[in-house]
Amino acid sequence: MSKNIDVLIIGAGPAGVAAGIGAKKEGAENVVVLERDWDLGGILQQCIHPGFGLRTFREELTGPEYMHRFIAQAHEAGVEFRTNTMVFQIDKDTNAVWTMNKERGIECLNPKSIVLTMGCRERPLGAIRIPGTRPAGIYTAGTAQRFVNMEGYMPGKRAVILGSGDIGLIMARRMIWEGAEVEGVYEVMSWPGGLRRNIAQCLDDYGIPFHLKTTVTKIHGADRLEGVTVAQVDDKMTPIKGTERFVPCDTLLLAIGLIPENELSRMAGIEIHPVTGGPVVNDLLQTSNPSVFAAGNVVIVYDLVDNVSDEGLIAGANAAKYAAGKISPNVKRIPVKGGENVRLFSPQFVTGESDTIIYMRVTHPIEGACKVIAEPGLYTQKLRYARPGEMNEVRIKASAIEANPDIKEITVDVQPEVKR
Amino acid sequence: MREERSFICVSCPLGCGLNVIIEDGEVTYVSGNSCPRGAAYAKTEVKDPRRVFASTVRVTGGKLPVCPIRSKTPAPKGKLSEIAKAVAALNVKAPIKIGQVLIHNVCGTDVDIVASRDLN
Repeated sequence: MSKNIDVLIIGAGPAGVAAGIGAKKEGAENVVVLERDWDLGGILQQCIHPGFGLRTFREELTGPEYMHRFIAQAHEAGVEFRTNTMVFQIDKDTNAVWTMNKERGIECLNPKSIVLTMGCRERPLGAIRIPGTRPAGIYTAGTAQRFVNMEGYMPGKRAVILGSGDIGLIMARRMIWEGAEVEGVYEVMSWPGGLRRNIAQCLDDYGIPFHLKTTVTKIHGADRLEGVTVAQVDDKMTPIKGTERFVPCDTLLLAIGLIPENELSRMAGIEIHPVTGGPVVNDLLQTSNPSVFAAGNVVIVYDLVDNVSDEGLIAGANAAKYAAGKISPNVKRIPVKGGENVRLFSPQFVTGESDTIIYMRVTHPIEGACKVIAEPGLYTQKLRYARPGEMNEVRIKASAIEANPDIKEITVDVQPEVKR
Repeated sequence: MREERSFICVSCPLGCGLNVIIEDGEVTYVSGNSCPRGAAYAKTEVKDPRRVFASTVRVTGGKLPVCPIRSKTPAPKGKLSEIAKAVAALNVKAPIKIGQVLIHNVCGTDVDIVASRDLN
């Protein structure tokens, strides 16, 4: 029988490592982070490009450098890590966590609180139903990134990239630097999925063509990918006849979105939000099961790892408070609603226990002066634009909730500034 | 000679669209930036464009066959493909420490190539 664990954290990526630090800082004694890989750091270990941590460290680090700093902090704080350890079950009623490890065998852990930090997965080819064959040479961008940056393999010599998520843009440049050719990036929407700076420094710098409102309509090749057909799409996203073009390539990389990874959360009976794909949480990052917290891309897919780490620290600290019996079961539960131009947001409930940030994405881009708001009168921030690829934040002060005890609901939205 | 150029600032995730006026090779006016870093970026981008180079080197005897590296400071943009070749030719013995200099003054740029993780 293992010692009593106060806070058990599942996944040692940026959210999990930060949750460990947050839990220790809050005073939890035994804080354990489980990781299925042999190494700590999660996906950041394969994100070898710079661009991480500008908010947290005031400098741009590569993924491994960013994680190195957080892992050092966690070790110093006394967080225990168990690598090569897979969680295969969480019991619904007892919250017992079943783990498997080559040396330790199968164990059943009964922590006082749990933090879910499993991150997200990439949308695969099967999610978008492209006609044609299924030859070798088709990978998600993140899989290709792992091949190149951690395992030392090149996926191919001439690539087409479908989707313009950040990992796809980063991989376009990476393939060029490794001597491959990138024919182009194709995005079905009329706006880019990733950050503008990645279009500038990953595509424009290398003259890689970027095609909006264009998609792959057919895959060709028997054993190995031989090419794809691309076509422009209309406003209903239907391919336009006559615009088809055959593009020879041996590699197709998919950067078509990320999905929070919640098999374990579902197993544990935790309520999952139908739009975010992550657990429904309040601003303490507490799920529908009061002893289970969640943070990072398992909750909602963020643009920046800095936000993931921030949320990890909060979830870890609150899980420690819960383990110590310091979180009341009767915290406020003010529901958050998304306005007309809000596709998704998190958290879904505000307690008013502390200042909080609601993260959200717009449905349609607004190119021009607009404002992000939280009604009734809780927050207004002017913006120069709002784009689905770039998250917006609403900051709610605990004092504002306290000053308005009758608030029944908070509505967040992004609206164009009306010209008078 | 007066020239106008527009490009995206890559200093931070905001990605501001910069409009720059260049007179006789000197940046005389920058607009579109939201912070001083943007103005500084516009000037270097016009006179001496630089990027941080990040890639991997082959490793012997490590837990992984490759180790991530970066240029410690931004390297001249025009030299990146030359630097990529110099890095590709390298084979390093594990253990490697984060920050360890693997190539000093790569391709005569005065920029060092360093390891960006520990690898045993």
